[in-house]
Amino acid sequence: MSKVLMKGNEAIGEAAIRAGCLNYFAYPITPQSEVAEYLSRRMTEVGGVFLQGESEVAVSYMIFGAAACGERVFTTSSSPGISLMSEGISYICGAECPAVFVNIMRGGPGLGGILPSQADYLQATKGIGHGDCRMLVMAPASVQEAVEMVMQAFPLAEKYRNPVMILGDGLIGQMMEPVSFRDDLKVPPTNKDDWATSGMDTRKSTKRNLVKSLYLDPEVLNAHNLKLKAKYDRMRQEEVRYETYNTGGDYRVLIVSYGTMSRVCRSAVDALKARNVETAMVRPQVLFPFPEQAVFDAAAKSSCTHVLSVEMSMGQMVEDIQRSVQGRRPVHWYGKCGGEVPTPEEVMEAVEALLQS
Amino acid sequence: MEAVRLERAVPRYEGVVVIVGAFGSGKTEVALNLAAVSRNAGSRVWIADLDLVNPYFRTREAKAALTRIGVEAVLPPDAYLYADLPILTPLVAGVIQRTEGLVILDVGGNDAGATVLASLADAFAAAAGHGRALHMLMVINPFRPFTDTVAGCRQMRASIEQASRLAVTGIIGNANLMEETRLEDIENGYRFVRAFSKESGLSLEMITVPESLWMQMAPVRFFCPVLPIHRQLVPPWKRPAEFNGGSNPRSFLNKTVVNGE
Repeated sequence: MSKVLMKGNEAIGEAAIRAGCLNYFAYPITPQSEVAEYLSRRMTEVGGVFLQGESEVAVSYMIFGAAACGERVFTTSSSPGISLMSEGISYICGAECPAVFVNIMRGGPGLGGILPSQADYLQATKGIGHGDCRMLVMAPASVQEAVEMVMQAFPLAEKYRNPVMILGDGLIGQMMEPVSFRDDLKVPPTNKDDWATSGMDTRKSTKRNLVKSLYLDPEVLNAHNLKLKAKYDRMRQEEVRYETYNTGGDYRVLIVSYGTMSRVCRSAVDALKARNVETAMVRPQVLFPFPEQAVFDAAAKSSCTHVLSVEMSMGQMVEDIQRSVQGRRPVHWYGKCGGEVPTPEEVMEAVEALLQS
Repeated sequence: MEAVRLERAVPRYEGVVVIVGAFGSGKTEVALNLAAVSRNAGSRVWIADLDLVNPYFRTREAKAALTRIGVEAVLPPDAYLYADLPILTPLVAGVIQRTEGLVILDVGGNDAGATVLASLADAFAAAAGHGRALHMLMVINPFRPFTDTVAGCRQMRASIEQASRLAVTGIIGNANLMEETRLEDIENGYRFVRAFSKESGLSLEMITVPESLWMQMAPVRFFCPVLPIHRQLVPPWKRPAEFNGGSNPRSFLNKTVVNGE
């Protein structure tokens, strides 16, 4: 298993190919354009398809079309582009098709800037599209984890017949790290004959499959939404994923942070320990479903007096943490959202200010 | 075996050095460290950020470190430092035509990044007119996709030359896996660029070694100058290495390099 040095965006593209996805539709936008650059070359080498759509709206429906036919398909974009895809994503959820969406977030709102951000947390976890639509949201903290999550995202999308999102900040896309591609993450083909519009002759079947999100009969639509809700509830049961850091002993402040921001926090936890200030961290690896119980348990420790959400957004994760902590501890926020990533020193200052308050 | 002192092994240039290569081959780290070593050796050094394609991790992020060691950085105006636009400041054409010192151009990746060089043809011609040497050096990291084979490097060279309207004159071997780089990676990378050098007829101008590995390297069997890399463009949870101070390139100069070929 030899290593290569890859930019996050390239590694995400390669991971999709390794997962058996040979369909990539996208529209370029900083800071994720290198995925398209990489796959414009690699997809031709492996006999796959890369098609640049005329807009992100078009791309979202190319994804819908390919997914409806039972093809593994994915796209990548950045914040404003994901907003444009939101309609298509809702249709794909409604029609119960598997697909993978990667959002390499930049600062907003509006055109914002091109530097790293985590300000699409609420959009990804609560409001990805109209109607009762949710998607599983995975948040890698390293290029290697991005590779693994992309490879896992395809079987998860197929398991739920629902889109899955990889939510990375701009750094995940732009930074370079050594990575390896594990063969044991290869995704076995899923049987889609029950539902995909892959052609009766292809399937050797006399049953016509129909993929749609239109349900005019109110009772039927209600039943359909109950079915979708059951899938989202199952995700809450089966897909919670998180990592803890320094939670073994006593600590006064619990940090909750995800993505590359959590790596800054990890450095801060270590440096604070050297100053005899004990802190701990819970890092959600999956953001929806949120690791409510893990955050509750870590915050409920008797030594813990404060919970601090550290994010590159204006505190979008705070509500999820408050919901998890259930009022047992005060939940605070520290972060920046202009494109600057807070430094370990700034996180340490935020923790020390809390303890002096 | 002939022992050579590293003073002779550290690369020395006058004139204009244009650093090109594939996306992510490490051009900016090489350019920054070459600037630092050259400044340390007494040259007046200018470095121009010509990366019009990469949005993050560019020379401009090392502006403060460059200023501290007395290297003059030629960057887009502050108001446009983070613009998602290909801005080429006219100062670049001016600095290429300087008549003394070392001018390093840090160019963007692939043919797309090298295209900008074609628009500077008049400045290069003027520099040549007053006798300035032009070195166009291609950085190669064989641990990167698309330049992991000699054929891939050949193709990369051809596309960069076509886009830039300039000929590559030498190779810089920059084999690394960042902090996971091992000595054997350096040695394998050296063999790789030697093979490409032989095949292409391009001179192997230098290889790089991360500063952390430098101390473990004696005796070293390289047939070319070696540039120690003090990594500057790091993610926010890491600190850039100091050009001066504890890990000053000058402190390496007493080390003996054994030439084993």
